Amino acid sequence: MSEKRIGMVEKSNNKRQRVKLVHEFSINDHHDVLVEILRRLDGPSLCSAACVCRLWSAVARNDSIWEELCFRQVSPRPSLSLRSVVSALGGYRCLYFLCIRPVLARLPKILWSRDQLQLSLSLYCVHYYERLYVGAWLGDAPPSSLMFLRKPVNVV
Amino acid sequence: MKRGHGETWGPVPPQPSTGSGEGPSMADNKGKMADDSNMDELLAVLGYKVRSSEMAEVAQKLEQLEMVLSNDDVGGSTVLNDTVHYNPSDLSSWVESMLSELNNPASSDLDPTRICEDRSEYDDLRAIPGLSAFPKEEEEGVDEEACSKRIRLGSWSDSAGELTRPVVLVDSQETGVRLVHALVACAEAIQREDLNLADALVKRVGTLAASQAGAMGKVATYFAQGLARRIYRRAYTTETDISGVGPSFEEVLQMHFYESCPYLKFAHFTANQAILEAITTARRVHVIDLGLNQGMQWPALMQALAVRSGGPPSFRLTGIGPPQTENSDSLQQLGWKLAQFAQAIGVEFEFKGLAAESLSDLKPEMFETRPESETVVVNSVFELHRLLASPGSIDKLLATVKAVKPSIVTVVEQEANHNGIVFLDRFNEALHYYSSLFDSLEDSYSLPSQDRVMSEVYLGRQILNVVAAEGSDRVERHETLAQWRIRMGSAGFDPVSLGSSAFKQASMLLSLFAGGDGYRVEEKDGCLMLGWQTRPLITTSAWKLAGADESRRR
Repeated sequence: MSEKRIGMVEKSNNKRQRVKLVHEFSINDHHDVLVEILRRLDGPSLCSAACVCRLWSAVARNDSIWEELCFRQVSPRPSLSLRSVVSALGGYRCLYFLCIRPVLARLPKILWSRDQLQLSLSLYCVHYYERLYVGAWLGDAPPSSLMFLRKPVNVV
Repeated sequence: MKRGHGETWGPVPPQPSTGSGEGPSMADNKGKMADDSNMDELLAVLGYKVRSSEMAEVAQKLEQLEMVLSNDDVGGSTVLNDTVHYNPSDLSSWVESMLSELNNPASSDLDPTRICEDRSEYDDLRAIPGLSAFPKEEEEGVDEEACSKRIRLGSWSDSAGELTRPVVLVDSQETGVRLVHALVACAEAIQREDLNLADALVKRVGTLAASQAGAMGKVATYFAQGLARRIYRRAYTTETDISGVGPSFEEVLQMHFYESCPYLKFAHFTANQAILEAITTARRVHVIDLGLNQGMQWPALMQALAVRSGGPPSFRLTGIGPPQTENSDSLQQLGWKLAQFAQAIGVEFEFKGLAAESLSDLKPEMFETRPESETVVVNSVFELHRLLASPGSIDKLLATVKAVKPSIVTVVEQEANHNGIVFLDRFNEALHYYSSLFDSLEDSYSLPSQDRVMSEVYLGRQILNVVAAEGSDRVERHETLAQWRIRMGSAGFDPVSLGSSAFKQASMLLSLFAGGDGYRVEEKDGCLMLGWQTRPLITTSAWKLAGADESRRR
């Protein structure tokens, strides 16, 4: 099979183009499959994948991938109504970067149950509210209520 | 230090402020009065004359001398070399003269009464009663009383203060301890109304605090300011205070405090959890917030309601704020912001703002509750203690709250007793409380500095209020959980336990904060306390109407 292909390619180089007889599977033609694969990645791998090319970067912005990443360890799974709320607040990707990832970095062994999720969502809400409504009032300062999540913990 | 037993003191002539050689002359006066026959025999053999009754004191003084000499910083040895000693076999007076030289080479004054006469001498902490080297004793108190009385009478007489001179330990690590002792001594002086001494001490505190880096220095500076205001009896009115700038400044400060440390977040999240657990089946919720500020508590609650199974209830918020100035309607604007947020997440929202000068002015009909169709919740974060400033206000407010028939009342208050009658007790409590608080701010080194500075200003204003204000101006009248329990109980409320969800969320929140090791969440009698190291600082508690049964929760 492969020899045939090579043979045909060689011939096409010399002669006119031939229609390829072998269908090649390109993942880039099947975005839904790509999404399914990316959904199974962990955070760092997903970020690497998003750097591969423009197409993959665009596909990686699919919020369902990040939703999966956020809730992979959560049991029980939160209800679907959460989806609309989180999208309204800025989406799962922002939720992951702002709240979930720093928490995981700080507390790697955390057991994600409803309470931990609720806390992350509360912090996310506070950030959203602050960014849109309070920031200007405080004199164009960037919202800093989540600043405590961004700095490294002093491990003494 | 005790006075020598059975010894009488003759009058000591005022000592001129000259160089060395002062010590022995006063010692001479002291020594000659009592009988000489009481000498210790063993020491007499060695050539030292020490009265048996004085043995303990002499031993103590020798100890101090040794300590001082071993800390060579002062260059004590040079001082000692210059001293002229008379009669060294009189061990007691010799040691005293050594000590007096080390303490104050300029002169040797004896008791705090001299402060009034010559403040330049007041250079060290000698006159502070009951300081580090010696436990405070009753006699000293009497001495001080007697001394201050002597000021008024204008007479001199005894060298009563002579033996109360503690040694100043010149160890630089002790600066923090000295600072605390100076503060406490100043407060004690104010308590006794010895304002001259207090004035000198407060200046001393200022100097020490300026040289002390870190949380202790900042706390001490604020406390010194408060003490100074109290001494000079500057009218602590709201006009002279910074709050005259307007309530919005207070709100800005509180916003920075919200962002920089977990206390307010803890308060909001635990109160929210308590509310959520109380309204699990409600279709309409009406929350009355006794202190709306920027409404930071409510977005998180609305989000939790939005994802509730069965869909979100309709959410009605009545926020109470300070009276509005003419051109601003900040309450309404806040309502708009919250409404937009609610719309974004799909929660039906209604807002009403009430401006009230004092919470006791509120009447139940102002809230326009619809008791048949809605579940009412009352929330108060750091608001109740202000009402203790005017008698009867808290009872009025609690009666109003009862009349509204809430399903749950969430209360967050500082965990401290800053409402005692005695100023000195209040001062000591406040010193410990705010030291812990500032300590916790200090540890979160990762914060943007503006937030932290503003948080310190926010807390500093509370300190000024606790220390310097009186009467209806003093609004920071914090009380402990036990005291609030009694109050709420007698007003007709039963406690509701906060569940483990609140505890878990609080624990997670605190572990996320840098310096998270210092923060502690404790559950006590169903209430949650957040503290720093071992000291609880704020408490969240929940209450329901006494005798209310479960069926009322709709």
